[in-house]
Formats: sequence, C-alpha cells, structure tokens
Amino acid sequence: MGWPVTLPAKGRSFPIALASFIVLQAVAALFFVADVTADLWTTALGAHSVLEALVTSVLLIGIVLSVAQLRWTLREMEMQGRALEVASGDFVRFIERQFDSWSLTDAERDVGFLALKGCDIREIAELRGRAAGTIRAQLASIYSKANVAGHPQFVSYFVEELLSRAAERSQDQTEDQPKAAAS
Amino acid sequence: MSLATTKRGGAEIAPPDPWDPLVRITHWVIAGAVLWNGLISKPGGTVHVWIGWIALVVLALRILWGFVGPREARFASFLPDPRRAVAHVLSLLRGRVREHPSHNPAGAIMVYALWLSLALVIATGLQMTEWKNPVTITEEKAAVAAGDWSVLVNNATEGDAHSEDMSLSRLIKEVHELAANLMLVLAVVHVAGVAVESMALKRNLVRPMIRGRS
Ligand code: HEM
Ligand code: HEM
Repeated sequence: MGWPVTLPAKGRSFPIALASFIVLQAVAALFFVADVTADLWTTALGAHSVLEALVTSVLLIGIVLSVAQLRWTLREMEMQGRALEVASGDFVRFIERQFDSWSLTDAERDVGFLALKGCDIREIAELRGRAAGTIRAQLASIYSKANVAGHPQFVSYFVEELLSRAAERSQDQTEDQPKAAAS
Repeated sequence: MSLATTKRGGAEIAPPDPWDPLVRITHWVIAGAVLWNGLISKPGGTVHVWIGWIALVVLALRILWGFVGPREARFASFLPDPRRAVAHVLSLLRGRVREHPSHNPAGAIMVYALWLSLALVIATGLQMTEWKNPVTITEEKAAVAAGDWSVLVNNATEGDAHSEDMSLSRLIKEVHELAANLMLVLAVVHVAGVAVESMALKRNLVRPMIRGRS
C-alpha cells in the first residue's frame, strides 16, 4: 500500500533491450573467437589473423562498453526513482498537513487516504473491516471538515497541488539541463 | 502514518522488483538451456553443443555482472553462508520469515549449487567434444554428410589412444550425465523453494524475475 513509485514504461524497456543486446554480443563474440582460435590452430599467422584479432578486440570492447552503459543507465534510473520517491514523500507530507489542519480523527485519516487512492466505499469498508454505513458517515465528516462538496472535489483539491508541483519540477529540470551539458 | 510510508509489499527491505534486466535474461536463458539440453535435445548432438556453448557465455556474463552489476546482483550481497541458510529454513518451518535485500540465504546456496553444477556440466561437455566449437562441429558433420569421411578418420586416430584415456573419458561422460541430472533435481527443488518462499512472504517472487511490477 502507499504511493507506488513506478517509472514510465518507455524508460524501462531500454535496459532490457540493452541487456538482450549484450547477451547476443557475448554469444557472437565467443563463437567468433572460438572459430578464429580453431583456424589459428590449423593455418599460419597472416594478414587474415591481424584482421581477425582486430575484429575480436572490437567485439570485446563493445561488450565492455555496453555493460558499462547498462550499469550507468540502471544507476540513473535508480536515482530518478529515488527522487520521485522523495517528491511523493513530500506530497504525502502535504496531505498529512492538510489532514492535520482539518483536525481529522485517526480513523478519518485512514479513510481519507483510501478515498484519495481511489477506493470506493465498499472497498474501504472491506479493507477496514467496518460497515459501509460507518465509512459513509466518516467520509461525510471528512468532506464537511475539508469544506468540499464530495469525493471529486476532495480529490481535485490534492491533484491540483500535485500538478503545480510537477510543473515546478519540470521547470527545474529544463533549467538544470544547460548546466549538466556544460559540465 | 504507516499507511502511506510503507512501500509496496509492506516491506522496506526486499529483493529488487523487478530484478535488473541482465539477471532476468541470464536466468531465463540458463533455465531454458538446462531444460532443453537435459530433457529435449539429442545428447551430444550439434544442437546440444550449440546450446551448451550459449549457456557458457551467459553464465560468464552473469559472473561478470556479479562483480560489476547493481548491488542486489553482486555476489557480495548473497555470499554463501550455510549457517544462515539453515536458520532461514528453520524460521520458514516455524512460519516466521523476513525479507532479504537479495536472494535469501537458503536461495543463495541453491543459486551457487546450480551455477557450479552448470559449470561442471559445461566443462565435462567441452572435454567430451575435445573443446571443438559448435561451428567446427557443424562443419564436420556437414562434411561427413557430404561424403568426406576424413574428419572421422582423424578423430579416430586421435581417440584411439590407451585404455587409460578411455576410462578417463568414460568417467568424464559419467560426471557430465550425473551433474546434468543433479542440476535438474536441484532446479525442481529451486522452483519448489521459490513457491514456498512466495507463499510465506505472501508475495509472488516469480513476477520480479519476469517483468516486475507493471
Ligand atoms: C547446458 C548444459 C548441459 C546439459 C544439461 C547437458 C545434459 C546432457 C545429458 C543429460 C546427456 C546424456 C548423457 C548420456 O546419455 O550419457 C548429455 C550428453 C552429452 N553432452 Fe551434454 N549437457 C550440457 C552441456 C553440454 C556441453 C556444453 C557439451 C559440449 C560442448 C555437451 C556435450 C555432450 C556430449 C558430447 C554428450 C554425449 C555423451 C555420450 O553419450 O557420448 N553437453 N548432456
Ligand atoms: C533449470 C532451470 C532453472 C535454473 C538452472 C535456475 C537457476 C537460477 C539461478 C542461478 C538463480 C539466481 C539468479 C541470479 O542471481 O542471477 C535463480 C533465481 C530465481 N529463479 Fe530460477 N532457475 C531455473 C528455473 C526457474 C523456474 C522454472 C522458475 C519459476 C517458476 C524460477 C524462478 C526463479 C526466481 C523467482 C528466482 C529469484 C529468487 C529470489 O527472489 O531470490 N527459476 N534461478
């Protein structure tokens, strides 16, 4: 439970492609090197072997670089994930402060969180092991303390905040980019 | 507020979800190679040797990754520790389990056992085929099929050595077969272990090995 932190699907398919590529590269390299070694056994060194040695080293360097690239990409993604987690942690704190200022009871806070996550009354009742009527009463109390008309307005109160934060963040990022490129 | 701050699965420490792509790909390639060579391909056939060599490369990559990969993929995160492995199994029997940042201690022992037996199978397989690479073997088979029997003659004179060599090669063949079968048994135990651990943790451990959370 809580706020799942996931990366966009687009960002996650790249490492998989890269890792598959590394595996293919390694298989190709081994077969090539084995074939070349077998040839060296039977034929003398020559211009041909120089070429083969060159191709071999290119293959091996390619593997090393791809592994480094994969390592770097994974680390980058981990850092982004952590930044997102921090951001969503901030958001959770913002929600908690709002709940504080509305002086919600402990039960109301839990119900409020579940309502924000998009659970309907039946689901909340099930999760908390209470009657649906109880949950309905708690929600009504939350909405009146928050001075909103109902669930949609309650959610949009927080979504607006989230969107304005996202806008700020993307501004920060565009400001950061020239710096990163220069360094 | 615990409701909002615990991560998915209710645990702060847990194996990666998903596992990094290299671990996932090497796992399924190795599993596929072992099952195919152990159960399906013709023992000693060309396909068998090709697959064995692919398993060799993939295993080598995973070992490299065990030194330079992300923290959870490194050997240092799941060093073999028999005492903790036993403790883990005991706590599993008592129904008390806890999460581990990488493979659990019992799983780690299994992982090393699988890798070691795979290495043994590959080494003995290579010895049986006189370290000829699959390209050469394919070419030789093609030559024989085309009516050129000279490669066979060559091999025969080489292999026609003393009886001591013969018994050694029989031993190597036995080890290959034994280790291959051992690996299949270990794999069954391994899958059972994953199932038991998944039930105890109330979490599907296979999904992070396939594609992780969606
Ligand atoms: C992925 C791992 C492998 C598995 C699970 C595996 C499994 C097996 C099994 C079960 C047999 C039957 C044993 C018998 O009937 O005596 C066999 C035979 C054989 N394997 Fe493998 N093998 C693997 C890799 C390799 C590799 C890498 C090579 C060679 C480069 C190889 C070469 C052979 C040969 C030549 C035989 C025939 C033995 C004979 O009957 O004369 N194997 N293998
Ligand atoms: C012959 C077949 C198999 C072999 C040799 C094998 C081997 C391995 C190895 C070596 C690892 C460690 C992975 C790493 O750190 O790189 C591993 C992990 C794992 N395997 Fe397999 N495996 C096999 C089949 C399967 C199957 C069929 C499943 C699924 C039902 C499976 C599920 C898993 C899972 C979930 C893990 C991660 C365990 C954890 O969370 O710590 N394996 N396996």
